Amino acid sequence: MTMAADDRRLKEAPIAVQTAVERRDRLFGWLIASPSLGLLFLVILFPVFWALFTSVHDYTLLAPNFDTFNGLDNYLKAAGDPEFRHTLWLTAFFVAAVVLLEFAIGFLVALMLHAVERFKSVYYAILLCPLLMNPVVVGLIWRMFLHPSLGIVNYLLSVIGVEPVNWLGSTKVALWTLVMVDIWHQVSFMIVLLLAGLSALPREPYEAARVDGASALRCFWHITLPLMLPVITVTLLIRLIFAVKTYDLVYIMTRGGPGVATDLVSYFIYRTAFVSLNIGEASAMSAILLAVILALTAWLHRYMRSLT
Amino acid sequence: MASISLNNIHKFYPNGYAAVRDVSLDIMDGEFVILLGPSGCGKSTTLRMIAGLETISSGDLRIGGARMNDIDPADRDVAIVFQNYALYPHMTVADNLSFGLRLRGVDRGLIGKRVATIAGMLGIGELLARKPAQLSGGQRQRVALGRALVREPKAFLLDEPLSNLDAKLRTSMRTELIKLHRTLGTTIVHVTHDQVEAMTMGERICIMKDGVIVQVGAPMEVYRNPVNTFVAGFLASPPMNLLRGRLSAKSVLLGDTKLPLPQALSAAFASHSGLDVIVGLRPEDFHLKADAAPMSVPLDIATVATEVLGPEVILVGNLRNYDEAEIHIRCSRDFRSDPGTTTTFYYDLSQLQIFDAETTYALKRPLKI
Repeated sequence: MTMAADDRRLKEAPIAVQTAVERRDRLFGWLIASPSLGLLFLVILFPVFWALFTSVHDYTLLAPNFDTFNGLDNYLKAAGDPEFRHTLWLTAFFVAAVVLLEFAIGFLVALMLHAVERFKSVYYAILLCPLLMNPVVVGLIWRMFLHPSLGIVNYLLSVIGVEPVNWLGSTKVALWTLVMVDIWHQVSFMIVLLLAGLSALPREPYEAARVDGASALRCFWHITLPLMLPVITVTLLIRLIFAVKTYDLVYIMTRGGPGVATDLVSYFIYRTAFVSLNIGEASAMSAILLAVILALTAWLHRYMRSLT
Repeated sequence: MASISLNNIHKFYPNGYAAVRDVSLDIMDGEFVILLGPSGCGKSTTLRMIAGLETISSGDLRIGGARMNDIDPADRDVAIVFQNYALYPHMTVADNLSFGLRLRGVDRGLIGKRVATIAGMLGIGELLARKPAQLSGGQRQRVALGRALVREPKAFLLDEPLSNLDAKLRTSMRTELIKLHRTLGTTIVHVTHDQVEAMTMGERICIMKDGVIVQVGAPMEVYRNPVNTFVAGFLASPPMNLLRGRLSAKSVLLGDTKLPLPQALSAAFASHSGLDVIVGLRPEDFHLKADAAPMSVPLDIATVATEVLGPEVILVGNLRNYDEAEIHIRCSRDFRSDPGTTTTFYYDLSQLQIFDAETTYALKRPLKI
């Protein structure tokens, strides 16, 4: 066959025809994926859309129906509610404190563990213990530890001559107590992720840097940190998203109190929905929270990528 | 520039494994020395000990006369080029080149000048803004080399720098390294397992095996007078044919083939008469004409296969009545022989090497006969 004939044949050949085999493969793919897709739809997409739908209706647990459509009323009410705004700021502060402190401590411990050669698995096991605990259990344990008169923490402080602290009862201290307990509970997560990132780093650039004359600190600054940025980004993002949703600790330890000192937004939304019975407004608040988290995630992701 | 001297250097790992044993080597100022050996022979460990990336278990390392055992790698003023380049992946080529200088607080203007000079020299001037991921293997290799050059160190340590390149690039980089050495005159220690690199690049080759230096010498010296069967079998491709035989007063027996020994050799080997030996015959010492060498012996070789390489043909064959090992013979490019046919080759007896079968070490012989 000549080249010209070959060319013609190629041109005449229909583009991207699906063969029977390909069609069957695709069908089979959809078939085996459909149960999980259906489940995902049921437990994630459906609740989200239901909440969005509810948020534009006057839906309360006293009158649980969609009879009254009230547009953006719920959103305007939520946005104008000083209490809701207060919880948003409080949450922002809590999240910033928790994520930054956990990152600082986590990275430090990860770096130290990375340098350790012996008993690594023992350290791992100890570190993972808090992470494996149910948040409710964590809350209960710490509530006992921090009991103003019966708790072991104040007892130990008294031994070294420090005045007892009202850990959960003081408006000034309570939020920091929550921060501390959350760090105790979640810092291992940071450590484990960062440690995995560290052990995946190539060894050679460090050797090159040593010969180039870089001190340990400069190696960290010029090599470890830039190379770790993708891992750091992901770790921060995940922790950030989870921290915004903190609910169980507040519920078990302070119920938002004293007063509204630890009234984090998730707990406030819960109260609006199931104590004030105003599902519509709570849904609007959830939608606002969702938007804030999405925006934050997108911004942080983009910012960290711009650094690399 | 500086000399490097290793005195009785050992490297033991915590598990008791001795990676390097009693290595002593004097590298002269400006010399190009090759550490050659199979993988795991301790050559890279030796280089890394010179660089300071591995601690020295015992022995003395001196660079430029000063003891360096406990000196930080940064203060030894040597530069190392790694096999996988070890570039800083997040830095541009320019930053990679200047990192070491910046750490040393060199004046910015001077850094810029030096980077530009080196980049021009290596032909990577237009790549300065790129990151390593955007470079080809050869370009990365040049950057790694540039990073070493830009610091103008006392010595370059090259750890198999060419082994990740394709064959063509490797050949051209080989030439460039030789040229570079000639221009700069800096001491270079080059680690490789490639005997072609060793033969072509080094002023001296240091062959290592199992953590010990086996032989040190100029390439042709090592090639012509391998100290044992390991060196004989390691250098060149195809390597020296090593055949078991028996030594007698005037000749050496390979099966029922008798190779008469020239006068000078039979005198040298007299004390080993009657010993089992290994006979070393270089593939290029076989000739088709009797008068190609003054002292030669005809050998009948039955062809097993021929490998046509282009510039030459390698004949793989068997010596008559000798089946222990095949013989490789280097023939001219027009040579052809069908399997099963027998060809008479004239072996140049003046090139004969004899090794003690028990110790594998060469029996001393006069260099010229």
